Amino acid sequence: MNRRGIAIRLGALAMAAGMLTAAARAQEGLPLAPAVEKELAAKASDVTEVTLGKNMLDFAAKFMNDKNGDDAQAKKLIQGLKGIYVREYTFDKEGAYSMEQLQQLRTFFETPEWSPVVRERERKSGETTDVLMKVVNGETQGMFILEAAPKELTIVLILGPIRMEDLGELKGIGGLGGALGGLGGVQHTPKPNSKKGGTE
Amino acid sequence: MAPEEMDEFERELRQALERRPAPPGLKRKLMAQRSANAARGVWWTRLVRAGHTRGWATATAALLLLAMAGGGVRWELDKRQEQRRGEAAREQVMTALRITGHALNEVQTRLAEHDRQAGEGER
Repeated sequence: MNRRGIAIRLGALAMAAGMLTAAARAQEGLPLAPAVEKELAAKASDVTEVTLGKNMLDFAAKFMNDKNGDDAQAKKLIQGLKGIYVREYTFDKEGAYSMEQLQQLRTFFETPEWSPVVRERERKSGETTDVLMKVVNGETQGMFILEAAPKELTIVLILGPIRMEDLGELKGIGGLGGALGGLGGVQHTPKPNSKKGGTE
Repeated sequence: MAPEEMDEFERELRQALERRPAPPGLKRKLMAQRSANAARGVWWTRLVRAGHTRGWATATAALLLLAMAGGGVRWELDKRQEQRRGEAAREQVMTALRITGHALNEVQTRLAEHDRQAGEGER
């Protein structure tokens, strides 16, 4: 075989590998990290990043003790999920991120299947809150939370079937207590005045 | 030495060196014995052979035991590594849920505050 033939075959092999990798990522259902994330991480003094695909969630579930209350609830909660994607950035100074950066993150979910549940903009403090739900055939198939405080930014993306009743029951894991049940209330109770005119 | 003595000595020497035919059947006996020895080996050959066989058997058994022990250790290490990875994955899930819970708590607090302010405004 001549050199050109080898080069063509190697190129085809590399392309196939690339396509397979992309397909695997798409199957995981997690978004590709946008550039804005890297910028935020570079400016943050403290970064927490958790990315768990379906395989990893299933693997983690094997190590959860059914007899332990938290573990059992967490296991029930992650059952069937396609992925959990969490980013938490803490900044030393205010103004470490811009509204444009936040908008870039929101843009990712501006699709017909994502419905805003909470959209709040505080003019005074500059805090913003977005909660979006992915509803497919009347079932919740995802949740996105973008919570921005002057020195803190939290992004949560959960993909897959989410049962609000399970979220509400989850107790004991720091701060999770009744809050998740509370969101269930927000989702089920229409609050037209909960959306404030923002400072965007 | 006296000449008589010399004659006697020569006679005895001649007699001793005289070529005599082998007894009948000697050749057959020797050949039979040789064949038998070759078949079962001489004692020292057998000893060496037995020693070799025992040595190989011992070495093989030792190798087998070593391989089994190695396999066991490897299995145990793999199991422990998987356990560690599993625990880490579990911790990550819990961390993700904690952050989610914290974020939702904040959402709830803000909404409650907003509702409270809206209620006060209506009054």
